[in-house]
Amino acid sequence: MPRHNRTGRGRGRPQRYKDVLHAHGGHRSHDFRCASCRLDVSPTAPGTAHRNHCPHCLASLHVDRRIPGDRAADCRGRMEALGMSVRPDGEWLIIHECVSCGELSANRVAGDDNPLALVRLALRPLADPRTAGRALLAL
Amino acid sequence: MSNPTSPHAHHTLGLGTFACAWCGLTVSAYASDGVPRNHCPSCLHSRHVLDHVEGGASDCEGRMSPIAIAVLRTGDWRVIHRCVRCDELTSNPVCVDDNQLILMRMAVRPLAQPPFPLEAFGTL
Repeated sequence: MPRHNRTGRGRGRPQRYKDVLHAHGGHRSHDFRCASCRLDVSPTAPGTAHRNHCPHCLASLHVDRRIPGDRAADCRGRMEALGMSVRPDGEWLIIHECVSCGELSANRVAGDDNPLALVRLALRPLADPRTAGRALLAL
Repeated sequence: MSNPTSPHAHHTLGLGTFACAWCGLTVSAYASDGVPRNHCPSCLHSRHVLDHVEGGASDCEGRMSPIAIAVLRTGDWRVIHRCVRCDELTSNPVCVDDNQLILMRMAVRPLAQPPFPLEAFGTL
């Protein structure tokens, strides 16, 4: 049952004019909100010109198809960090996996990524003593 | 697609073996426990024959080198392969007779060259 607090529509105080638009063209127009931890992330990142994952929880969004930056994927699923890889020059890459379609991608770490999350991701194969112990015993 | 003169045509002909694209080892297509194999157990290299973006078979057929180890929630390891020709990524489960030295070397490689000092984690 609808509540009627006012006797007529449009007779109250008119809505205040908003001079800051949060969505389009405003001060947060190019920021994005993390799909996993809801952190507001600025696109400027130290060490890279293209931020593509949340610096806090390392989650990303499936927007690119084959070429980085083409925005051609229509999946738009959340991509979780799956593993850690290393380039031959020693730079760490986060392997992301889309939770809705299973697509994989590799992204460089940024300068302000959470070091604890990065090390936890790198230590994940060694955290299970069953598999890692079996591999060490087989050497 | 399935060129009978290509060096890995044994796999499509159903002979049960294929030649590794990197080390040349002749590998049986099935592991000892009957699981179909998609990478060499000696050097863990694979070949790009399936297209995971579009689905179906791929005409790239490039060599795929192992770049990372991923761990599922069940604790099973998977090998992440990257195609050296088109940079496509795939993940494949680890077989029982895979080279444990290369698996462990890939698992500890991030810790050998950390981008930041790891001494601060000793105080946590």
